[in-house]
Amino acid sequence: MQKETINRRHFIKLSSFTSGSLVIGFMLPGLPALALSPADCEFFQPSAYLKIDKSGKVTVLVGKQESGQGVDTAFPMIVAEELDVDFKDVKSEIAPYGTLKEGEHDTGGSQSVMTMYDSLRKAGAIAKAMLISAAAKVWNIKETSCAADKGEVVNTITMQRIKYGELVCQAAALPVPKDVTLKNPKDFKLIGKAEKRSNLNDILTGKTKYGLDIKLDGMLFAVAERCPVLGGTLVSVDDAAAKKVPGVIKVVSYKGTGAPMHVRAGVAVIATNTWAAIKARKLLNITWDEGSKNNESTEELFKTFAAKAKTKPAIEVFKKGDVSSFANKNEITATYAQPFLAHATIEPVNFVAAVNGDACELWGGLQLPDWTVNTIAKECNFKKEKIKVNLTAMGGAFGRRLHFDFAIEAVRIAQQIDKPVKLIWERADDIRFQPYRPANYHLLKASTDDKGHLAAWQHHVLGTPVAYMTEGPNTKHPEEMDGADKGFCYAVPNILTGYTPVDFNINRGWLRSVDICVNTFPVESFIDEIAQQQHKDPLDFRLAMLENKPDFKTGDDPGAMTQSPARIAAVLKKVAEKIGWKEARKPNHFIGLATHSFIFAKSYAAHAIEIELLAPKKFKITRVVAAIDCGLVINPDGLLNQMEGGLAFALTQTLKGEITVANSRVVEDGFFSYELLTYAEMPPLEIYIIDSKEEPGGVGEVGLSTVAPALCNALAAAGNRPRNLPIRNEGFSWVYA
Amino acid sequence: MPSFKLNVNNTAYTVDAEADMPLLWVLRDLLNLTGTKYGCGVASCGACTVMIDGNAAYACQRPVGTCVNKKITTIEGLSADGSHPVQKAWQKAGVPQCGYCQPGQMMAAAAMLEKNKKPSEETIAEVMSNNLCRCGTYHRIKKAIHIAIEDINQ
Repeated sequence: MQKETINRRHFIKLSSFTSGSLVIGFMLPGLPALALSPADCEFFQPSAYLKIDKSGKVTVLVGKQESGQGVDTAFPMIVAEELDVDFKDVKSEIAPYGTLKEGEHDTGGSQSVMTMYDSLRKAGAIAKAMLISAAAKVWNIKETSCAADKGEVVNTITMQRIKYGELVCQAAALPVPKDVTLKNPKDFKLIGKAEKRSNLNDILTGKTKYGLDIKLDGMLFAVAERCPVLGGTLVSVDDAAAKKVPGVIKVVSYKGTGAPMHVRAGVAVIATNTWAAIKARKLLNITWDEGSKNNESTEELFKTFAAKAKTKPAIEVFKKGDVSSFANKNEITATYAQPFLAHATIEPVNFVAAVNGDACELWGGLQLPDWTVNTIAKECNFKKEKIKVNLTAMGGAFGRRLHFDFAIEAVRIAQQIDKPVKLIWERADDIRFQPYRPANYHLLKASTDDKGHLAAWQHHVLGTPVAYMTEGPNTKHPEEMDGADKGFCYAVPNILTGYTPVDFNINRGWLRSVDICVNTFPVESFIDEIAQQQHKDPLDFRLAMLENKPDFKTGDDPGAMTQSPARIAAVLKKVAEKIGWKEARKPNHFIGLATHSFIFAKSYAAHAIEIELLAPKKFKITRVVAAIDCGLVINPDGLLNQMEGGLAFALTQTLKGEITVANSRVVEDGFFSYELLTYAEMPPLEIYIIDSKEEPGGVGEVGLSTVAPALCNALAAAGNRPRNLPIRNEGFSWVYA
Repeated sequence: MPSFKLNVNNTAYTVDAEADMPLLWVLRDLLNLTGTKYGCGVASCGACTVMIDGNAAYACQRPVGTCVNKKITTIEGLSADGSHPVQKAWQKAGVPQCGYCQPGQMMAAAAMLEKNKKPSEETIAEVMSNNLCRCGTYHRIKKAIHIAIEDINQ
């Protein structure tokens, strides 16, 4: 097994990318480049991104990892558009690891469509050009006399047609063109039309294989007990009782790691089935050395935040004008806080590893497989080229599988047994040993001039940065300031923002919408608060600082992102119009607004939320209106699904999501204590898509950040402003339709 | 090790397992029917929902010893090809994102509709709130259930 699979990595020889353009042009080694006889070729594969078989079926090889965001449909749509095939003849498969250039498998930051759009279009167009060339040769006519249509090449002189499938062998023998003409977007037939997920039927019949569903010959199952305190070590383990459980094969221990993944020291039970391992684990008698950092708590952490907030930020992030001249002048001050959060994917993290001498083979869902391989090579002493990865579908990711602590654990366990092992994290492990979204605290100050215009804005963010974990406490850039840095969207003449890192002994990681979500809640709440205090309309107050303001760069380097106040204003105006902001409201009904840009995915979204107040702190969400501008939309159905899901995800953390820590241990241990939004709690949602010709942006994370501030602004309009999430902690309760 | 005779998806199986092994792990680890998902093991998420004698049941809460002489249906047996009205409705509504919880969601919906062909909104909300979806596909689940209701009442 090992030898064969390791070699498969080299089966396809890559050509190099040139200046960010595209791959294209690797050939299958062992096959001659020319003069193929039809019998010799199974399919036509002009690039890493697609292949066409003799029946004309197109398989798009998706290089980004599917976790529900819909790349397995958007990518095939982009390829099929340029290839001119019926979408029903297109299926998607996971691009095998190693067939793309380093970094191209990386999936996160809502970057997939944005970064791959051009390459996928070119891949489709090149395949089409080669099929046309092949047909032109068959007919002995010029290529310009041929056209492509629905999976066939048409002879425009005779109107004869040849199916793509009949041309695959001839096309495979042709040189890959360096350059091709792409369609004019106005001629798009597929991009922009709603399509169902490409592998929908596999999901609906239970056939989709997620990491947890992998089963190999002779494979064993493992669960692990981990040191309750991060950084602690194993002193001793008594496994006598555990080993007596029928089905248990072996008990092994493994060491923890430091940065980047902070694997905890652990003891794993390996058994012939998961249940035996789970039962035996409970019988382990382990003594840990917890180390010195075993008495930290979130209660103390937030006290530390509050104390440090009063001092100057450790890192000055963005300065414009001079805020000091406005100090204490009509000053408004507020603090906001948000807790640690867990990703809580319904498929708990898991991983399969098989070690055979100096080679290692892996199976599972990973958002960053290259970093995983590089780190495992280092931590577990393998040569990189001896590690073979098989990527699987993911039962949710939301940033959890950007981290690969579980993969390192699986390899350490598999290094101690001569069979493949599947490591399963139980739900309690998942909630208690996460890379958590950092806890954070915000001190905001604002001053207005004599006309009530916002004259000075100060934002001090305090947090427990992810970079302290992934890079170590000496990192140069711990600050998590997207949305509160130079990209701050409101035109205020004097601004000062800064960040103060605070270390804390639990692991942290990136959660869907990352620091944009962290900073949009305080920024959009505080803007609203200032408007309220000034007796100004919160919509008009915002628009005066957004409309007619030019786009600006957020840095000096050529790759710096662009902020677009006009597009931020446009989504805000859209939700205000659709919810009837300027119209009379029903008794006891209140509306809150919030807008933002998800700047590094070039997308913009706003929410307007209407509540009915039933008691001073009891409410019902009666309407949610969202607007999104993500440039050109590839698959509107996928976009809507992401916006719907974004609302559920954001409501979970607005209403009730919270991880607390006592004695350096996470208190919550499952869905009873870390509750997720339920079916009954999901409020109605209307979504408006801004018609845009801008380049496509990302959509996976854009529907979250404005939900909390919009809801809190509605509650503030009703009389009580929540400044700490989840709002349940401030005594709010909700009923649902 | 004791041996148990099970009827899963109208197929007779004999499994060697400890009597306390939950049906979930029997299905997944011993019978390789991995369409039934592990989410929590403690009846908090619904990912492992199957039908036992037509009733929705959490497979993680049913020791295999209690499953003998019962008719067990998993997502693999709901239909051979995705043609059950609930699966067709899920297809039409384009429900899934990651899809991991969806077998459990569909089994819960199918069991509900077996008992009650015209459930009220309240009943639907009560039943379906036992099944968590972290991707947040609840609107589409609702839409799909209404499509299925229309289909089975025609």
